[in-house]
Amino acid sequence: MDTFLLSLTVLFAGGMFALIAHRQFSLMKAGYIAITVAGSLMGLSAIWPTLQGGSPVSFSTTWLHLFTLSFTVDSLSAFFLLPIFAICPLAVLYSFHYMENSEQCGRVAANYFFLNVLVVSMALVASADNLIGFALVWELMSLSSFFLVMYEYQKEATRKAGYIYFIFTHVGALCIFAAFALAYSSTGSYDFASFADMPAKVKAIVFFLALAGFGSKAGIFPMHMWLPHAHPAAPSHISAVMSGVMIKMGIYGIFRLYASLGVTDLIFGEVVLCLGIISGILGVVYAIGNQDLKKLLAYSSVENIGIILIGMGIGMIGVASGNMVMASFAFAGALLHVLNHSIFKTLLFLGAGAVLHKTGGKHLDLLGGLMKKMPTTGKTFLIGSVSISGLPPTNGYVGEFLIYYGAFHGLTLGGSSFLFVMLAIISLAIIGGLAVACFSKVVGMVFLGEPRTEKAATATEAGFSVTLPMIVLAAASIFIGLFPEPFINLVFLGLNGIKSLQLVGPEEVAIVAGNLAFIARLFLAIFLLSVALRKLFYLKKEIVRGATWGCGFTQPTVKIQYTGTSYGMSIVDFFRPFVRIRTSYSGITRIFPGRTTYESRIDDIAEITLMDRIVSPLLYLLGKLRWIQHGHIQLYIGYIIVTIIALLLFI
Amino acid sequence: MINISQSILVITLLSVLLSLGSTRLTSLVKIMALQGVMVSLTPLFLKDHGSFGSGAIIFFQIMILIKGLLIPGLLYMAVKRIAIKRDIEPFIGYHASILSGLAIILVSVFITNSLRLTLPAGHDIVLITAITTMASGFFLMMARSKAITQVIGYLMLENGIYLIGTALTKHSHTLYVVEFGVLLDLLVGVMIMGIILHNINSAFDDVDTTLLGRLKD
Repeated sequence: MDTFLLSLTVLFAGGMFALIAHRQFSLMKAGYIAITVAGSLMGLSAIWPTLQGGSPVSFSTTWLHLFTLSFTVDSLSAFFLLPIFAICPLAVLYSFHYMENSEQCGRVAANYFFLNVLVVSMALVASADNLIGFALVWELMSLSSFFLVMYEYQKEATRKAGYIYFIFTHVGALCIFAAFALAYSSTGSYDFASFADMPAKVKAIVFFLALAGFGSKAGIFPMHMWLPHAHPAAPSHISAVMSGVMIKMGIYGIFRLYASLGVTDLIFGEVVLCLGIISGILGVVYAIGNQDLKKLLAYSSVENIGIILIGMGIGMIGVASGNMVMASFAFAGALLHVLNHSIFKTLLFLGAGAVLHKTGGKHLDLLGGLMKKMPTTGKTFLIGSVSISGLPPTNGYVGEFLIYYGAFHGLTLGGSSFLFVMLAIISLAIIGGLAVACFSKVVGMVFLGEPRTEKAATATEAGFSVTLPMIVLAAASIFIGLFPEPFINLVFLGLNGIKSLQLVGPEEVAIVAGNLAFIARLFLAIFLLSVALRKLFYLKKEIVRGATWGCGFTQPTVKIQYTGTSYGMSIVDFFRPFVRIRTSYSGITRIFPGRTTYESRIDDIAEITLMDRIVSPLLYLLGKLRWIQHGHIQLYIGYIIVTIIALLLFI
Repeated sequence: MINISQSILVITLLSVLLSLGSTRLTSLVKIMALQGVMVSLTPLFLKDHGSFGSGAIIFFQIMILIKGLLIPGLLYMAVKRIAIKRDIEPFIGYHASILSGLAIILVSVFITNSLRLTLPAGHDIVLITAITTMASGFFLMMARSKAITQVIGYLMLENGIYLIGTALTKHSHTLYVVEFGVLLDLLVGVMIMGIILHNINSAFDDVDTTLLGRLKD
């Protein structure tokens, strides 16, 4: 535990260093990155024994002579600490060439400081062992990430995004604290360990309250609204950390709660599964419909959280019905997908950031043809896209396959469980297909074709500190795909903490992992073989290069390419009741048409509902109470006196 | 024989009534200076007082300096410098205010009796004065329109709280340390008021707080 605490201290010191040294811009960046990477490596070495199956280590201290704060790194915590300590230094390294504006050195330093506070608080969230400690570091995590979102605070949209995030994260925290308070009043103990002693009814309320709270952090569908606002507003490496690592803390919370509550009723699994299906499908549909690159990635995070929840839901149903093979593999798939998503989503956000940095545009229809200008970014982004679509030979495939594997084992169940499992399999398939459509759109619009604007045409590859993290992440993505065995074992080790789950034996795991590895390698072999064959067949032939989408015209224009809207709209149209599409089209009236315009935008159904059903009535109601605030200081003092007298008389 | 502590308390009460009835800001500030000195002197002349150490003596001197000189001085400067129209502009008239002050004294006596505290001899009068001063402070805050009278009302409220502390505690100057903290708050409050007054003055050409009502959304 000493190494763990030391690493957190070093990380915090890195943040302080950035604040102190902000006048020497390059020195500050280099020093900060060095200290942060060192701190993260220390953190990795601290959790290494636990990841190898070592016993949990803990640490506790008293606070204000009243509360005990205790932190324990067990195998589940260690698994969630892995992305924190592995992904964050890469994002930090990325920022060296990404944060180039030395005039804003103070703001960059503040950004670095809060980033490290965020990393420290996330590490503490993943290791917190009692309610007070958890609540404290959870709040610290929310606040530091709020300041990170507010980096470009002069922009109206950023401030709005920041406030939306602030509201959502605090409503979520409110639910979590309410759940904790209820648990404390029932057990009288601050320890997570005592959760199992609660009566079943209280357990259910605590679970669903906390599910709502953790869900708003993780981005489960109706509570996801802050994601598509906050991610485009924040700098790209911040979006990468928030989407890749921070929202997983919500998932961690659900996992930890499930493990310590020890609930085995069917209803929990069914609710989680349904939430997962809704988040998964609608997340990817909105991702297809949106043309803003970072907004699209944010919605894709909602989709992946949905996949993780589907895995957890199937796992819980498996535990409830005693089918441990199903439960083990589904939980393992969900947990592995947490790690996988943190790798490829970070990769994609970093790639999007590089594109944004070099072209200045994040709207898909302003980009194009970047594969030739930014080859490293393009190729790593392509690997990330393949991975997020769940295709072999990448890591996304491994995680999703395990969930499928668990779900297919659940088809032997009877009654409603069968229906739910069937629904999960179908929706997983739909999500997978739509994800392919979504990311083929992104890669097609951004990296293939011809540049649509001048800026996209003159873009150049970003600096080494930007490309290196992306290469590392892409390599990790393929490595997990090709050699899944150690990671699957890691996941099963992490699942040891869930007491109600009897894990399947290592032999069966080894067989499944071996088959997965074989398939991935086979795919890679076929891919390499076909590339080699293509090279071979074209060896002696003359190759003519023309403009992409030139269609044989002598004067092709970039406007005859597909746009993001035209590519995705046919799919989005199918989901119309759940997606509001607004189009404005001026129409063609004459034989020789003049200038025509077409515009379409997608509105989030959850956002519309929240505005129409909750915010507007509330504003109307509270508007009626405006007369209380009249602006006369004398009467305000009168309010105070009346309150004091009332309190003195009645209490 | 004249009891010094009682005369001090009577002067305090009179100053309260006078402040409710005063029509000019400068005279109100002067009354507050007098009241501050009287209130700070009260604990020194109470009957069951033990001997004071040198620390206590310094403490009370500082108290008198701040209450009697520093804060009224700052207020006086504010009145002079921002060229505030010198009259007070009440919501409730001067005669009605004095009448309310007398009513407040009666109510204070009633409250003190109904509290049934076991107080040392002579302290019940201190308590009556304290409650009167507090309530009048509130009254002044509510019944006058200028920002500066709000601060003066707050000052009076603080004097009342100080007297309550005197009445209820066994006298040792360490207990007044808390009181001293409140006093520092007040000092900061007066300074902030100076800034705000300046801003209100430049924004509205007047320091009438009713104009602040325009700032609400």
